[in-house]
Amino acid sequence: MTQDAIIETRGLVRRFGGFAAVDGVDLTVARNSVHALIGPNGAGKTTVFNLVSKFLDPSEGQIFYNGRDITNTKPADVARQGMVRSFQISAIFGRMTVAENVRIALQRPTGLSFSFWRADSVLDNLADRVDELLDSVGLLDWRDRPAAGLSYGRKRALEFATTMALDPELMLLDEPMAGLGQQDVVRISELIAEQAKNRTILMVEHNLSVVAELADRITVLARGKILAEGDYKSIAADPAVIEAYIGDDID
Amino acid sequence: MTELLGVPPALLFGQVLIGLINGLFYAMMSMGVAIIFGMLRIGNFVHGAQYMLGAFGAWFLASLPQLFPGLGLPSLGYWWALILVPPAVAAIGALTERLFIRKVYDLEHAYGLLLTVGLAFVIEGLFNVKFGAAGQQYGVPDALKGGVNLGFMFLPIYRVWVIVAALVVCIATWVVIERTRLGAYLRAATENPDLVRAFGINVPRMLMLTYAFGVGLAGLTGVMAAPIYQVSPQMGQSVIVIIFAIVVIGGMGSIAGAIVSGIGLGIIEGLTKVFWPEASSTVIFICMALVLILRPQGLFGKDTSAHSGADITTARRESILENGRLWIPVLAIVGIVLPYLVYPVFAMKILCFALFACAYNLVFGYLGLLAFGHAAFFGAAAYGAAHIAAVWGWSPELAILGGTALATAIGALFGWLAIRRQGLYFAMITLALAQIVSFYAVQAEWTHGEDGIQSVPRGKLFGLIDLNDTMTMYFFVLTVFLLCFAFIYRLLRSPFGQVLRAIRDNNQRTVSLGYSADRFKLVAFTISAMLAGVAGGMKAIVFQIASLTDVHFMTSADALLMTLIGGVGTILGPVVGAAIVVTLQREFAEFGAWVIVVQGAAFVLCVLFLRQGVVGTAESWLGRRAERRREAELGAPAAEPKEEAAQ
Repeated sequence: MTQDAIIETRGLVRRFGGFAAVDGVDLTVARNSVHALIGPNGAGKTTVFNLVSKFLDPSEGQIFYNGRDITNTKPADVARQGMVRSFQISAIFGRMTVAENVRIALQRPTGLSFSFWRADSVLDNLADRVDELLDSVGLLDWRDRPAAGLSYGRKRALEFATTMALDPELMLLDEPMAGLGQQDVVRISELIAEQAKNRTILMVEHNLSVVAELADRITVLARGKILAEGDYKSIAADPAVIEAYIGDDID
Repeated sequence: MTELLGVPPALLFGQVLIGLINGLFYAMMSMGVAIIFGMLRIGNFVHGAQYMLGAFGAWFLASLPQLFPGLGLPSLGYWWALILVPPAVAAIGALTERLFIRKVYDLEHAYGLLLTVGLAFVIEGLFNVKFGAAGQQYGVPDALKGGVNLGFMFLPIYRVWVIVAALVVCIATWVVIERTRLGAYLRAATENPDLVRAFGINVPRMLMLTYAFGVGLAGLTGVMAAPIYQVSPQMGQSVIVIIFAIVVIGGMGSIAGAIVSGIGLGIIEGLTKVFWPEASSTVIFICMALVLILRPQGLFGKDTSAHSGADITTARRESILENGRLWIPVLAIVGIVLPYLVYPVFAMKILCFALFACAYNLVFGYLGLLAFGHAAFFGAAAYGAAHIAAVWGWSPELAILGGTALATAIGALFGWLAIRRQGLYFAMITLALAQIVSFYAVQAEWTHGEDGIQSVPRGKLFGLIDLNDTMTMYFFVLTVFLLCFAFIYRLLRSPFGQVLRAIRDNNQRTVSLGYSADRFKLVAFTISAMLAGVAGGMKAIVFQIASLTDVHFMTSADALLMTLIGGVGTILGPVVGAAIVVTLQREFAEFGAWVIVVQGAAFVLCVLFLRQGVVGTAESWLGRRAERRREAELGAPAAEPKEEAAQ
C-alpha cells in the first residue's frame, strides 16, 4: 500500500500522575480511510483521541498531521487546518437554535467573527448552506428550535451537521453511537459512510458491528499500548485481541 | 557586622520574623479556603469575617466584666479563648452552612461567591456599627510575655509560640486530609457524592462539618492573631483578598500548596518591607500574576480542562425585553424626562453606574465569567480623566477618552492574565489584580492618597459647550450612555456576539470548530473594561472628583450587585439594577455604617430569592406565557414532549 499518512504519532505517551494511560503508541492513519480505535475499557482509546485532537498534551512523543509536527499546536489551530473532532457527550450549543448551531461553524471561515460592529445579518447569506446541511441530516423541520430541546439522537445528528459544515479533511468522532437507539445508530452509520467518501475519519467506537461495517482499518488498544492492527477480519481472528476482550469481561 | 545587605540585621530579621508569622496565618487561612473550595466548590469570601470573629471572640472573653457589668462574669484569658473560640466560630460556620451555603451547592460557582460576599458584608458591617472602625487592644498572655535577646535581634516569646503552634496546625491538617481514611472520604465525596453516599456516609453532614472545620481554622487564626494585631471589624477584609491570591498561587484545592505558598509569600512580603517598602502591599498580587504567566494551574495545582462559562441568564433573544430597537428609544425618552423628575445630578449618577453595570454585564452575563475587579477599570479611568482635566487642563471629552484609554490598556493586561482561568479562579484573579490598582492609588503621588483628585474642572466640551451648566452636562452624559448602550446591543447581535454565545454555551466545542475561544474572550473583556472606563471617566467629570472609592473593591461589588438585582445577561437588567442600587444607597446614606449591612443583605437575598433579577423574572414570566400561548395554538403539547422532558 502506498497510501500516505494523514496522521502519524511517534512514541505517544500520556501519564496521569504515575499512571501511563497511553504508553508508547505509534499510530498511522491513512488518508481517505475510516480508521477505528477499539479496545476494552481503560485501554486508552479516548486519551489517544484527545491527544491527536490536541485537547490533551502528550507527556512524550510527537504527532504529525499531513507531515507537519502539531505536537505543540493549539486545538483551535489544528481545527482551522482541517481536523475537526466531535465529543462523547453531544456537543451542541443548547441556547442557540438548530440553524444557529450550524451557522456558527459556517461563519468561521468567513473571517467575520471578530466584527463586533456589524449586524449579524451579514451572515444571512449562509442560510442556504445551513438549510442544505440540516436537510442532509433530516433536521430541516427543526431549524428554528432551541437545540437543547432536541432528542438525543437528533442532537447527535446536529453535531454531525455542524462538523460537516466545516468540510474537514479529517473528522475525529468520539464514540458517535454512544447512547443511541438502534434506529439512530443506523441513521448515523449511513451519515458516516456518506461522509467517508471524500475525507478521512478516525473514530473511537464500542459498537463492534458498526466498526465492522464502517472501518477500513482497526487499531486495538489495551493497557495504553497497541495490541493489534488490521482489517476487521484479521482483528477478529487475532487470539491476543480475543484474550484482551474476554479477559476484560472476566475482570 | 552592623549591616546585612545594606540594612541593619535587627530590621531584616525582625521583618522576616513578622513575615513568617503573617505567612503562617496566611497558610492557616488559605488551608481553610482551599479545603472549603476543594470539598464544597465554594469560594468562601466570608473567611476574612470569620477570622475577625475569632479575634473578637478572644476579646469578648477577656472583656466579659466590662461588657456585662454586674453579672460578676470573670475575664477569660487567652488560653480559654484558644479552647472556646475556634469551636464557637466553627459552630457559627456550621449554622451558616445549614442556613445559607447549602442552598447554593447545585448552582453556578458565582452564586456561592456572591452569597459569601454578602455574608461578609453583613457580619463586618454589623461589627462596624457596634464597635466602630477603631481597633481593640488584646494583650499577650502572661505566660508568653517577654522575649529572648538573640544578640542581633529581640525575639518575643509569644511569636515563637505562634510559629510553633501554627506549624503544628498546618501539618496536622495536611496529614488528616491527605493521609487518613477520613480525609480520603472527604476527597472522594467531592469527586462523587452519590458514590460516597452509597457507602452509607451522610454527605450533607460531612460537607457541613468540612465547612465548619475550615471556618474553625479561621477562628483559631483570629485568636492567635489577636495579641499581635488590633482587633477590628476590618481586619479580615484586606486579608481575604490576599488569601484568595495565595490560593491561586498554591493551586486551588491543594492543601500543601496553601501551606507552602502562604508561608513563602508571608516571608517575601516581609522582605519587601525591608528592601522596597512601597511595593510591600502589592508584592503578593504581583507574584500571583507571575505564577499565572508561568504556571497557570498554580504551583501545586493540577491541570484543569477548560469548561464553559456560567449559564446564569434567563434572557431569550427573541423576547420583547431584549429588543434594542424598542428599548433604545424608550431609554432615550426616559432619559430626557428623568432630570425633570429627580435631581439631574442624581440622574447622572444613575446613568454613569448604569453604563458601568452594562459594561460589567458584558463579561458576567454574556461570557459567563465572574469578574470581580471592574473597579480597577472604572477607577483608573476616573483618575486618568481627573488628572488630564485638572492638571493638564484638557477639554472634558479628551479627559474621558484618555481615562478610557488607560482603562482599556489595564483591561487588556488583566484580561490576558485572567482569561487563562475560569470559574472561581477568574473571580479571585480579577479581584487580586484590581487590588494592585487600588493599592497603587493609595500610594502614588499623582492620585493624592485619601484626598483623591478634587475640584476637577468640567470645562467646555470640544472647547465650545460649557458643561458647568448641570442640564448641559446631563444631556452629554445621556448621549454617551445611549451611544454605549447601542454599541453593546450591536456587539451582542454581531457575528462576534454569535461566537461569544457559542463560547458561553460550550467552550470546548467552539474550540473544536476552530475558534480560539480565549482570544474572543479577551477582546470582549477588553471592550468591557473600555466601557467601564467611559463610565469612570465620565463620573470623574460629572462629580469633579476621582477618589479611592472609585477603585475600591466595593465598587466592583456594586457593579455585580446592580447586574444581579436587575437581571444577569439581559440588556435592561444592569440599567434597572443601577437605578435600584443607586436609589437604595441614597436612601440608606443617612444610616451611615448600616449601608454596608444593607448591601450585604441585598446580596444574600438576591442569591437566595431573586437569582434572575427583576428583568430576568419578568422575562421568565413572559417566556412561560409565550409557551402557553404556543401550546394553545398548536392545540397539543409541543412535539416530542417525552424526549424534551428527559433532556
